[in-house]
Amino acid sequence: MAEQSIAGPAGRVMAADGDRSARAGIVILLLSVALALSIFLSLTSGASDASAVRVIRDWLTGAVPADTALAARDRLIVYDIRMPRVLLGVLIGAALAVSGAVMQGLFRNPLADPGLIGVSAGSSLGAVAVIVLGTTWLAPVTLALGTLALPLAAFFGGLAVTFLLYAIATRQGQTSVATMLLAGLAIAALAMALTGILVFVADDRQLRDLTFWQLGSLAGATWPKIGTIGPVIALALATMPFLSRGLNSLALGEAAASHLGIPVQRLKYTAIVGVSAAVGASVAVSGGIGFIGIVVPHLLRLAIGPDNRYLLPASALLGGSLLLLADAVARTVVAPAELPIGIVTAVAGAPFFLWILLRKRGIVDL
Amino acid sequence: MIEADDISVAIGSKRIVSHVDFAARPGEVTAIVGPNGSGKTTLLKALTGELSYTGTVTLNGRDLVSMKPVEAATHRAVLPQSTTLSFPFTVLEIVRLGLIGGRSGVLPGEDARLPERALARVDLDGFAGRFYQELSGGEQQRVQLARVLCQVWAPVLEGRPRYLFLDEPVSSLDVKHQLIIMNIARDFARRGGGVVAILHDLNLTAMYADRIFVLSRGQLAAAGSPQDVLNDELIEKVFDCRLKVGALPAGSVPFVLPQSAA
Repeated sequence: MAEQSIAGPAGRVMAADGDRSARAGIVILLLSVALALSIFLSLTSGASDASAVRVIRDWLTGAVPADTALAARDRLIVYDIRMPRVLLGVLIGAALAVSGAVMQGLFRNPLADPGLIGVSAGSSLGAVAVIVLGTTWLAPVTLALGTLALPLAAFFGGLAVTFLLYAIATRQGQTSVATMLLAGLAIAALAMALTGILVFVADDRQLRDLTFWQLGSLAGATWPKIGTIGPVIALALATMPFLSRGLNSLALGEAAASHLGIPVQRLKYTAIVGVSAAVGASVAVSGGIGFIGIVVPHLLRLAIGPDNRYLLPASALLGGSLLLLADAVARTVVAPAELPIGIVTAVAGAPFFLWILLRKRGIVDL
Repeated sequence: MIEADDISVAIGSKRIVSHVDFAARPGEVTAIVGPNGSGKTTLLKALTGELSYTGTVTLNGRDLVSMKPVEAATHRAVLPQSTTLSFPFTVLEIVRLGLIGGRSGVLPGEDARLPERALARVDLDGFAGRFYQELSGGEQQRVQLARVLCQVWAPVLEGRPRYLFLDEPVSSLDVKHQLIIMNIARDFARRGGGVVAILHDLNLTAMYADRIFVLSRGQLAAAGSPQDVLNDELIEKVFDCRLKVGALPAGSVPFVLPQSAA
């Protein structure tokens, strides 16, 4: 029997032995440092001259500041304005990036993104329904759920769209990418039309809230909001690492993953519910922030490969950093006014998305 | 032992496989042959639980329907006809997926080296760092076989035989690699495991199969040893093609049989 090996033709080799886990470890370490730096910069910079460093030093050392009035103002700015905003930015950036990576694994396609295929639009519809109809038609619901009504509505909106998409695009275990993208387009259009009707019946005060919210912004960050959506996002993010091996197997197709022993059905439902929760919670507080979910995982796949065991934590770290960066731009380019952050991520993300398409033609096998 | 009784599979309203009885014993290579569209792959998908069916399939005496994916995965591994990926995995990363269930059957600690050994067995030494998507179809097929071998490396685990399901394992391979792959299958069976393979090449089938199941229009046309099954009448009936078993070509036309491999 011929057992001698033939020399393979010279090919592109990433790591001589094909094992990229060491490289992934280093990248994750670097991203952790980058996130820490972004948090530090976001805390210390802003429209006012309040010094976060001094506030934190005073707090740590217990020193009594010379100018108590100024110190109290600075504390207010750092604790009640910057900190919740930074925390929210990290949470939402991580949630969007990880949701993107998980959906891409689930749909076996690097173009699946909650914003692109209508999940965010579904969440928006749910949220807008609560904002506009919260005091009239949906009054019993909002009364019963209180501050949870908005995030829950956003969650169920996203969940409905994702299930619908999966049901439409999957036949006998094979998900058709073309069907998924086109169905996503149609569902998003429908959700936006329904949202439009709600906007039409909204009064002036609601309208102002809606417009700013729909463009996406971290400006409304408060501790109570973080208390509401923080646990949801944290829980969803904590679930995702348990899906990573299953998502890796799913790259071979649903049948092959099942033959490897993966409970595919449970994996899909967990992923869909997790993504809907994370995206719904994000949309509920910050509106539609696009492209983080597609840009972050794509960049990381170039650096460390598609292994979800590393891709998911790395996406969380880079997503958090990038959103803080985008927020810094949103706060400073037109200071003292503020751009909605969704505009910043779209302006940077859309050309990047086109670049992916140009680089990898044929990525969508229509 | 894999036993299937009265298997029928319908896709939509079309019945693809009707009332097929099938059995594959440990220690043997069992081949499924038949013309295109005769239901070979559909039967294999029923036997692996990928498609729903009527009738019963048992795997080592247990009903397949009652087994969780993780249990079934310890008893058998499945090689699909072809696998395309949409993410840039390296060959090593793909082969390692075979170890996900953790029941390869080698000593703990030997697992880590298994992907390299499996790649060497399918003649892909040195391919671990290559990108799967950049390989040829035949190379991709062998990478998938290495992954499948990792999943059930030991043909017998805890006293129970394990099975390899191979859907056209050699269809995109050159003759050298056809022989390498079929030898791996035969070796797996000799060491106590079972192999179920869909094959097209009747010469390879005659050479390697212990038992042959012949499908025709979704029904079982014949079953038995190569000597019993491969005869002129059956081939003409099933493949609609008049061929003579054992006839030599006339004159100086060369012919090459796998049986002549040294």
